[in-house]
Amino acid sequence: MSRPLTILLLALLLFAAGCAAETAEAPAELTHIRLPMGFVADPQYAPFYVAVEKGYYAEEGLEIEFDYSFETDGIALVGANELPFAIVSGEQVILARAQELPVVYVLEWFQDFPIAVVSKEEAGISEPQDLIGRSVGLPGFFGASYVGYVGLLSATGVSPDEVAAEEIGFTQVESLLAGQVDAVVGYANNEPVQLRAQGEAIDVIHVAHYIDMVANGIITNETTIAENPELVHRLVRATLRGLADTLANPEEAYEISKQYVEGLDDSRMAVLEASLPMWEAPVLGHTDPKSWERTQDVLLEMGLIDAPLADLEGAYTNDFIRDNQPEE
Amino acid sequence: MERLREQPIWLTTAISFLLLLLLWEAVTVLGGYDRFILPGPADVGQQFLIVATDGRLWRHTLITVSEVVPGLLLGFGIATPLGYLLAKSPLAERLLSPYLIASQAIPVIAIAPLLTIWVRSTFWSRVLVSVIVVFFPILINVIAGLRSVPTELYELMHSLRASQWQIFRKLEVPAALPILLAGLKVGATLSVIGALVGEFVQPKSQGLGYLLVTARYQFKTDLVFVVLLTLAAIALAMYGMVALLERRLLRWQENE
Repeated sequence: MSRPLTILLLALLLFAAGCAAETAEAPAELTHIRLPMGFVADPQYAPFYVAVEKGYYAEEGLEIEFDYSFETDGIALVGANELPFAIVSGEQVILARAQELPVVYVLEWFQDFPIAVVSKEEAGISEPQDLIGRSVGLPGFFGASYVGYVGLLSATGVSPDEVAAEEIGFTQVESLLAGQVDAVVGYANNEPVQLRAQGEAIDVIHVAHYIDMVANGIITNETTIAENPELVHRLVRATLRGLADTLANPEEAYEISKQYVEGLDDSRMAVLEASLPMWEAPVLGHTDPKSWERTQDVLLEMGLIDAPLADLEGAYTNDFIRDNQPEE
Repeated sequence: MERLREQPIWLTTAISFLLLLLLWEAVTVLGGYDRFILPGPADVGQQFLIVATDGRLWRHTLITVSEVVPGLLLGFGIATPLGYLLAKSPLAERLLSPYLIASQAIPVIAIAPLLTIWVRSTFWSRVLVSVIVVFFPILINVIAGLRSVPTELYELMHSLRASQWQIFRKLEVPAALPILLAGLKVGATLSVIGALVGEFVQPKSQGLGYLLVTARYQFKTDLVFVVLLTLAAIALAMYGMVALLERRLLRWQENE
């Protein structure tokens, strides 16, 4: 082999080796997480959008895909360990565990149960006792709104027989405006906002002011906690940072949400503003064991579960939020 | 195979049902599915006993049946004369059929919520969904049935100076009946789906659709299966009744 050719070959080899070294040094691949959200894209998911946009998930090596399918699907998928996480309503965790789905609640995002009873001001329904002898419209006799409604009555000693509850589907705003019912049950950050936007003077009874039940939060499953607790820590840490940033700077969070919610204009800032007080807590994401007991009592009273869970404490944990509080 | 064919029908049905149960059990065991993902036949049977003995299943079933039956009868009652008109009048067919065909491109689930607003009665809005679903297959079969009557037979009737009424009663009805009844069979099974779609979108219904939604909410997949099997049983019963009717009405065919 002639000398120039040998040099050329050597140079090529060195170049190839250099390329290989370069690929090896590239950043580790992000773990893809499909996260069932439980509702359509909405500014109330601002903490998650903020955490993506500011790179908090990426810093933890996570890539989040928002999945806006129904919450029951999310629970079943997490229960079967097909997905590691989902956002669900608290009472759903108890219902799921009653059917042996090994889901565990790791971050209480909504500190307040977000259901409220809304009525026109002229109806004079400003506290639960005022509902006696009145008609109340519910989307249906199932779901978080029904649980919230029964919890409210139960906590305030109003018998369900004293109130004329009606199923009206998801037509709360229309039914109330048309005067078909005296009050409606809906989400505290949705129906009241819509009614006020239409210039209606309304009274709002927040379920959370009367009873502390477990609301929306993040679940994982027992397998993920046992085999990959670090993954849970990473997701919780990044989410709490997004939550803290949203609480500290709602305007910025709303601007960020516009990239994630198609056609979002400034009119829905009120939804985010109505949500913020429900997220605030001395320890972000903390879940209170007592609220689990109360939620379970309401589900028992409603007949949605036949007996108390043998292991209610297994349904939730504060282990992951404790060490991952965002720095001030 | 030959020996199996000689057995009475109830025995072959029972064998096929048992095989189905075995296959189902095998899938749940071999697939390693959790009970809330795919319950086995035993779980579903147990849940069936619970809701059958506490009366819940019958209460919800009766409500659904009370929507299915008028849905099918009304759908049949509207589709049959309209089908006759379309088969007999080229002008009517030219005017109406584009819209009738185009209407089939509209998914009923999309307009069902609107129906509940348009029709004030919540019961009739659910029945109407069922009517819409059964209408088209019956209509098509009425037209196909009438078109299947050979021209020679019309010519024969004319040569015998038969009146329009006689042609209708002695030729068209008997000739179109087999195809019309086939359409009614399809409609009978579809009417159950129609009523269920109506129940999904229409509150105030306590039918099987309601039981299905609450079972899903409580993660009682075994109860979801009980509801699905009950719906299948209703569809089978409806189909069976039309088949009985068919056997009575078409007895003349067997004699030929």
